Amino acid sequence: MLGRSLMAAGMLTAALTMSCDAARAFDESKYPDLKGQWVRARVPGVVGQPSYDPNHNQGKPQNPPLKPKYQAIWDASLKDQDAGGQGGDPTYGCLAPGMPRIMVPYGDMEIVVTPETTHILLEHIHDSRRIYTDGRTWPKDADSIDPTFSGYSIGKWSDTTGSGRYDTLEVETRYFKGPRAMDATGIPLSEDNQSVFKEKIHWDKNKPDELTDEITTFDNAFTQPWTVLKKYERRKEAQPVWFEEVCTEGNQHIGIGNEVYYLSGDGKLMPAKPGQAPPDLRYFKPSQK
Amino acid sequence: MVFRSSLTAVALMTALLTSVGGAWAFDDAQYPNLKGQWVRARAPAGVTGQGPFDPDKSWGRGQQAPLTAEYQKALEASLKDQGEGGQGGWQGGRCLAVGMPGMMTLFRPMEIIVLPEVTYIRIDHIRDSRRRVFTDGRDWPKDVQPSYDGYSIGRWLDTQRKGSFDTLEIETRYFKGPRSFEPSGMLLHEDNETIVKERMYLDGSNPDLLHNDLTVIDHALTRPWTVAKKYQREKAKFPIWPEDMCVEGSGLVYIGDDMYFLSADGDLMPSKKGQPAPDLTYFKPANKQTRK
Repeated sequence: MLGRSLMAAGMLTAALTMSCDAARAFDESKYPDLKGQWVRARVPGVVGQPSYDPNHNQGKPQNPPLKPKYQAIWDASLKDQDAGGQGGDPTYGCLAPGMPRIMVPYGDMEIVVTPETTHILLEHIHDSRRIYTDGRTWPKDADSIDPTFSGYSIGKWSDTTGSGRYDTLEVETRYFKGPRAMDATGIPLSEDNQSVFKEKIHWDKNKPDELTDEITTFDNAFTQPWTVLKKYERRKEAQPVWFEEVCTEGNQHIGIGNEVYYLSGDGKLMPAKPGQAPPDLRYFKPSQK
Repeated sequence: MVFRSSLTAVALMTALLTSVGGAWAFDDAQYPNLKGQWVRARAPAGVTGQGPFDPDKSWGRGQQAPLTAEYQKALEASLKDQGEGGQGGWQGGRCLAVGMPGMMTLFRPMEIIVLPEVTYIRIDHIRDSRRRVFTDGRDWPKDVQPSYDGYSIGRWLDTQRKGSFDTLEIETRYFKGPRSFEPSGMLLHEDNETIVKERMYLDGSNPDLLHNDLTVIDHALTRPWTVAKKYQREKAKFPIWPEDMCVEGSGLVYIGDDMYFLSADGDLMPSKKGQPAPDLTYFKPANKQTRK
């Protein structure tokens, strides 16, 4: 009797477990718990606007390994910004920052993990990413990929501690368009847009509300690969507020040709720098001027 | 003995199911398969205009929208301005977010990511918008920051009683503006008290066809307006997700309320016949030597 009831229980359990396995296409427990709202971690002693390498202040302390040509471009950008211009920062007119700058990140970040894709949703200008983890390889025909500011990312999950749960997402990102800069000071990337970024996004179960992203930049503007370690912190709110940022709403910068002007409070064009000339109005008839 | 062994069996099953339940946080077989890339279904023959809100009718007046007299007048003014070269009431020309409900026309492809707590709707048009439809059972929060996309709460339904969900019912509130239904510049009310109700479900006979029965309740309308939107799933295994950077090469410059064109050589041009040049009051006389 005992044997029969045990057998029956075993059969039922097996049947239930099988039906669970068949239905369970996405076993979330194999992936790190990245749910919630992430923000960039503050680094003690680092001040000012968010820098690309978060461990150093923005500007010269970043010490990027730039080639002389690109160092000169960056110096010119810093000088123009000192004079009131936008320098080499392409985002003043709401152009996407693109990779790797989007990973600063400026706004709140959500990481949505599915077996096929990890979505990184960033509320800033136009920053969100798709990291494909479906086993695809780089397309043979590079022309089949439209270059973008955020690039094309392929990732692979790994369980580096043998715990049975993935803890690291290794990502490679290619196929860019520009202009892009590493940060708001205009640290340039090469205009050839041949950048390659390798990331290790790592979650430690012992520090579940911290996330690190080690990003290495390979770019023809640099003399050597540049690696920085970014840290993110998870906010504690059960139902975090997701602010909607629409860059073009109330943007006071107006780009006309190669010049950037301000929009005054009363909706008129203003110079952004001392002595800046107004735009050329030759397309307006004299009576319209 | 039978009793005791039955108890043991039940305890075993309970333990197993508990552990399975703990690990198995998400049974995606309970939800409809909405993976892939969705685009708006081809309009019926004879439907004209860019992205009409009701996909079965031509845009503008052809929509026969139940507008109040005030908002019908605003539509006429928008169409007139567009006829003269302006953008009328359409915010897309300024690269402002389209917001709800216009964004669900799908000017660009859509991806739907279904998770138990949230269904994400990603549409890369003008901005990289992502609607979050909260399906975690939450109630309307007391304090919500208004947004173009609004705040959405959803509920999955098993309308066919097949033991799995087939329909996502969504209600969206808490908006900011300006928003318009479609590129003709048909405006929603400036009080932004819009409520949008949606029912999204796969077609009974075609799993690559998604329906979105969408009802708008808005003070610009004399009654709720319901339209039946349809989306088609693309067949590509690895679909291409375009990045839509509205400001890139838009060729439009807004100074205050006036829109100008940017010429190929980067200079300002009038967008309408007889349009005055921008006011240069803030430039010192010495600076008014314009750039060549």
